[in-house]
Amino acid sequence: MSWVAWRQYRSQAVIAAALLAAFAAAILVDGFQIAAHWHAILLACAGNSACLHQEPAPTLVNGLVSDLPYLSLIVPAILGMLWGAPLVAHELETRTSDFAWAQSVTRTRWLAVKAGLLLLAAVVCGGVVSALTTWWSGPGNAQSGGQFSPGQFDIQGIVPVGYAVFAMALGIAAGTVARRTLPAIAVALGGFITLRLLVSDVLRPHYLAAITTYYNLTTGFTPAGSAWVLSQGAVSRTGQFVSAGWGSLGTFLPASCQSLLQGPPSKSGSLSAMFSCMQANGWRGVITYQPADRYRAFQGIEAGIYVLLAAALIAVAIVIVRRRDA
Amino acid sequence: MSERRAARGQAAGASEGHSAGMAIETRALSKRYRRASALTDCTISVPEGRLSALIGPNGAGKTTLLRILAGMASPTAGAAAVLGDTPRQDPSFLAEVGFLAQEIPLYRRFTPEDHIRIGAHMNARWDATLARTRLEELRIPLDQRVGTLSGGQRAQVALALTLAKRPRLLLLDEPVAALDPLARRHFLATLTTALADAEGGLTVVLSSHLVTDLERICDHVVLLSRSRVQLCGDIDSLLAEHKVLIGPQKDTLPIERTHQVVQAVRTARQSSLLVRTNGPVIDPAYQAEDVTFEELVLAYMGADEASPARHLTTVGED
Amino acid sequence: MNWVVWRQYRAQGAIALALLAAFTAVALWQGLEVASQWHSLVATCAGNSGCLRQGDLIRGVANGVPYLTLAVPVALGALCGAPLVAGELESRTSDFAWSQSVTRTRWLAAKTGWLLLGAAVCGGVVAVLVTWWSGPENAQLANTFITPQYDTQGIVPIGYAVFAVALGIAAGAVARRTLPAIAVVFAGFIGLRYVIDDFVRPYFMTAVTTYFHLTGPGVSPPGAAWMLSQGMVSPTGQVVSFAVPDMYGGVLPASCQNLLPSLGPVKGGNQSMNAVYSCLQARGWRGFVTYQPASRWWAFQGIETGIYVLLAAALIAVAFVIVRRRDA
Repeated sequence: MSWVAWRQYRSQAVIAAALLAAFAAAILVDGFQIAAHWHAILLACAGNSACLHQEPAPTLVNGLVSDLPYLSLIVPAILGMLWGAPLVAHELETRTSDFAWAQSVTRTRWLAVKAGLLLLAAVVCGGVVSALTTWWSGPGNAQSGGQFSPGQFDIQGIVPVGYAVFAMALGIAAGTVARRTLPAIAVALGGFITLRLLVSDVLRPHYLAAITTYYNLTTGFTPAGSAWVLSQGAVSRTGQFVSAGWGSLGTFLPASCQSLLQGPPSKSGSLSAMFSCMQANGWRGVITYQPADRYRAFQGIEAGIYVLLAAALIAVAIVIVRRRDA
Repeated sequence: MSERRAARGQAAGASEGHSAGMAIETRALSKRYRRASALTDCTISVPEGRLSALIGPNGAGKTTLLRILAGMASPTAGAAAVLGDTPRQDPSFLAEVGFLAQEIPLYRRFTPEDHIRIGAHMNARWDATLARTRLEELRIPLDQRVGTLSGGQRAQVALALTLAKRPRLLLLDEPVAALDPLARRHFLATLTTALADAEGGLTVVLSSHLVTDLERICDHVVLLSRSRVQLCGDIDSLLAEHKVLIGPQKDTLPIERTHQVVQAVRTARQSSLLVRTNGPVIDPAYQAEDVTFEELVLAYMGADEASPARHLTTVGED
Repeated sequence: MNWVVWRQYRAQGAIALALLAAFTAVALWQGLEVASQWHSLVATCAGNSGCLRQGDLIRGVANGVPYLTLAVPVALGALCGAPLVAGELESRTSDFAWSQSVTRTRWLAAKTGWLLLGAAVCGGVVAVLVTWWSGPENAQLANTFITPQYDTQGIVPIGYAVFAVALGIAAGAVARRTLPAIAVVFAGFIGLRYVIDDFVRPYFMTAVTTYFHLTGPGVSPPGAAWMLSQGMVSPTGQVVSFAVPDMYGGVLPASCQNLLPSLGPVKGGNQSMNAVYSCLQARGWRGFVTYQPASRWWAFQGIETGIYVLLAAALIAVAFVIVRRRDA
């Protein structure tokens, strides 16, 4: 049965391998350039951390392939749509299921082997793309420490593998329910996007209880390393919160400090004077964040969520294929 | 035997006397694909008003020929003239030619009524009443999705839609394959009635395997085998031209020199030759018998090489 | 033939309309929310542009949705364009359609025309809503020439949608099967967008380069201009960026390099660099900024839309030729 599955997907596997190779080539070439530039900067700054984080920061990415890793966000969606959705749906549409399911393998085994092959392919594709992207992002992470932030978090580490497996499972399940390829593709695409949005925007900030720290406005506070800042701002004695964009500050600033809000808040001079005034009025700085050392835990939790969902979807697909009329 | 056309209620001289227009004429029509040739050097003619049987084993090229005549495919060599015109994508040509493909192409999610309405919008000349009446007579529900009808019912719907176009030429690719014997009879009867009503204005080319059915109603035959035309002509004349000569087992060369031997069956005691006669058969040792249509078809279909070489099939040893 | 197209696609049209309505509802809800925040911010900042830029627009739950509209064109191309011809060929209903009394050309023209119109409308409605919704955010941004602002607002989404659908139709006519056509839509659309975004868009019109004295206040292009590059240039044309580590790389003339402040926390940065700048300026170095002015935004939108529409037309022409000439 595995030979049958391999034979069916042979040419598509070749195409996928070719695309992966092209992606790898582009990322490797660009990544080596970035790494070289970064090493030159390290040498020039001779270990001085303030030099490394100077403004304006030297641009590491040279724009040629800099968008390519972000394209990898859609790789799982494509896997699920083009391979997962037609797995069962196409066979039902073209009635080759009548052939396949009249042979001496049970439907369960048939689906298990084919789905297993595709899920394995998803792991490989997702893993290769993620490994390359994580390596490519190395200097960027060292410079700006942004790997925990949305966008970067999604394309590095192990979560891309989770996304790929989930998208594939979603496509397969959608195909067994819809029994027609196009609706299955639409459902796979829509479902994947919706779930990714939900999990990253609504669930992810809460995997572990965030840490809230109060600090003196005049001294400021930056969490160590590559933490994920969920919100930052100032809070008054009465609990009024103003976020760090300071846009709504004018409404809540005590009257004695209003005169200081003249120039653009970006000019450091006016900000520190304002902060002293606010502090004198009982305002404190407040920051809610996920500390940097939780990065791996969050990666693991999110990948785990997607893998569990994938398993549930595959179970649904198997049940449906077994029980419904062919 | 003009009994065939007489049996269909058509005047014997309707298409015989004046030079009837040719519904279909091809000259050296060929269709080559990369690896094989689907049609090689086919020259046929089908006069108007005929019900022509397109016979041949699987893979002979019947579907390819029909699709080229319908304008769905184009030949790689040779020429075809359908109702006097080269098959092309032109509303007036398409209106005159009705084509029913082998897979019974219908929209599975649409009902027969939907298809009738679609046909009304896509054809200038469209007889919706005919289609509806026909389907009602066959007790096929007009408001049930085609995908849920049985294979035979789908074929009937497709046929009704093809007839509703009121074309001058009907090209039907194995239309009765999915029908049960009763439905087959009914359909073929409808065809012959339509032909009679049209009084020579409708020509039908019908491809099928079922020789006995075809023999009953067809008056013209085109036989394809291995991408070549083996036979083409009015059935009556062809039957008159062929004889089975049965005689003692002996030297058959004189016969072979004078007449074209289609098939030879030799046993220990006698020879049986199916010949296309080129004049009367004088040899007293041989007894001449009429050949049936089925024997004729089978003999030509069993040919191993392209005509006009002689076909000799030996059965048994001397 | 128009009725036939309607009958065949009315279910999909209804779904598209429902999705469009849902999107409109979300856009209006969130857009009004952001707009009211913006109005209060404007009132607070009383015309202070720096204050406006820093102002915080609390984003709602649906703040990711405008970025998602990047996927609309490719979804249209894959789900509507690819099956248009390929679906009929796969299921052989082309044998039915093409043996009626309409020519293949007329058949394809009716189907293609309505689908392209539908795609343009979808793309246009979404673009209008996203443009309005993003108004406040745009006002805060320094550059609206980049993804995702540029790609989801204005008129280019219409060009993208029309192109993606045309690509799907043509790919379906060539491949005669829907799934390969969908793959081509994804690969082709994403590939072309990537190439044009990064390699062609900066050059639609010749960028403006402004030079300024290094010791002067510097030049900031007005409005949301698209900064392509900036730095210092020597009389011989050598370019160095303003980033501190780059300047320490040994490119500057030695006499000026010696004036560079020693490495360490640099507070009030520009003051200590002044000596370096004066030194460089004395040697003929100038600062420069290369950018596309904000006023060119609509011109760029028009040029890019034109490119995609022309490509779409070419693809449609290809589809027509193939459908007419190939065997059914």
